[in-house]
Amino acid sequence: MNFRTQQAANRRKTIGLLVGMGVLVWLVALAALTYFGQSTTAIVPLAVGIALVSVWGSYYGSDKLVLTMTGAKLIKESDNPKLFGLIQEITIASGLPMPKVAIVIDSAPNAFATGRNQDHALIAFTTGILDVMDRDELQGVIAHELAHVANRDTLVSAVAATTAGAIAILSDMLMRMMWFGGGRDRDRNSNGNPLLLVFSLLILILAPIAAVLLKSAISRKRESLADATAVAFTRNPAGLRSALEVLERDSTVVHQKSNSIAHIWIESPLDGKAVSKMFSTHPPIAERISVLKAMESLN
Amino acid sequence: MEIIIVLGVIALVVLFFVAQYNRLIRLNISVDEAWAQIEVQLKRRADLIPNLVETVKGYAAHEQSTFDAVVTARAKATTASTVADTAAADGMLTQALRGLLAVAEAYPDLKASANFISLQEELSTTENKVAFSRQFYNDNVRELNTAVKTVPTNFFAGVAKVSEREFYEVEDPQDRKAPNVKF
Repeated sequence: MNFRTQQAANRRKTIGLLVGMGVLVWLVALAALTYFGQSTTAIVPLAVGIALVSVWGSYYGSDKLVLTMTGAKLIKESDNPKLFGLIQEITIASGLPMPKVAIVIDSAPNAFATGRNQDHALIAFTTGILDVMDRDELQGVIAHELAHVANRDTLVSAVAATTAGAIAILSDMLMRMMWFGGGRDRDRNSNGNPLLLVFSLLILILAPIAAVLLKSAISRKRESLADATAVAFTRNPAGLRSALEVLERDSTVVHQKSNSIAHIWIESPLDGKAVSKMFSTHPPIAERISVLKAMESLN
Repeated sequence: MEIIIVLGVIALVVLFFVAQYNRLIRLNISVDEAWAQIEVQLKRRADLIPNLVETVKGYAAHEQSTFDAVVTARAKATTASTVADTAAADGMLTQALRGLLAVAEAYPDLKASANFISLQEELSTTENKVAFSRQFYNDNVRELNTAVKTVPTNFFAGVAKVSEREFYEVEDPQDRKAPNVKF
């Protein structure tokens, strides 16, 4: 597959997964109504509201927030003209405005992009990645990060986090209601089918896990999409492929203050520990390399 | 009631026309902007050359023919105006610069000098910027030309005074190969 078909496929799958998230919220709301009756009607907007407020604050200020969370320091062109030159190359190739650039002092090679839109974009690199990668490899990494900006992935992950958060809050609230017996007005609903009740309970218990799985799947698709978009920018799959090989060989992991932003790095600091591929925020690096190799063979 | 429906239909048709017209104008402006970016990058490269030539001359004074080739190509590149002329001059200059850097390979003192190393980095990033601005321009031209030739935008090309634009094609066998895209 070339980068255009790759891009189209990943976009399609993201939409499918986001629709899946919406269906999940709807199922949970339906299950709550079936199990607890009318008194739960107000809970759904409440849970969505709480999730919205907590996620969108961090989405809006993502560029500043992530700086403090990772300890990245903004730099000027005069601090690293070579890096700025490389980034300018990709802004020309992509038609994006010049992002803010930051450095994380960490010997583990890694990089990330954030910011609510292309005018507030921030891309950051560890000192490690700048040391180990050559020109073409860095160009590939920069293209991958700016691809996240072009594809508005901060927004996509904020939407995914909001729905997953709303489902988690919702099922937490309902579980509490169940333990304390409050709000359950079975008298009015006594003609409920027992099978339907068991099924509703099952949905309420499993929904949070399903939401996390969907959120991880969306994140993985956005990573693959960013790889394909990076190739659309550079037309040089070999650069990014070789960069990923460097990351694959390297076993050091960035020192993070918090795991909550693990998904934004080009190589996830957590996926090595992930229970299974289904919970990873990134596709396996070997799989990403083989997709890029397939694009190279088209040249 | 009927009047409202008729007015609604007319409004929709007008909106549709406006959207097609604006799309063509927008695409045309994008091509202009992309072209301006090419010119900026070509100018940047031209500005780098005198300094580079002087530096190489300091170590390799007798490579006169190589210097001449670069200077001639630069002069041609700075005076070209049409897309085809600019592209041709751009290709020539790229070749000449490659020759200059190949000459530099034979002089270890030159290669080790800090000035040359920083000039070389600046030249390679500029070469890449030229190549990427060219690629961005061609992508924009492709989109515009497709719009000018396909339904429904093609009906509005005349009114919007937008026509097909010329691709920026550099004749250079060593040029970075574009991937073989299959649609």
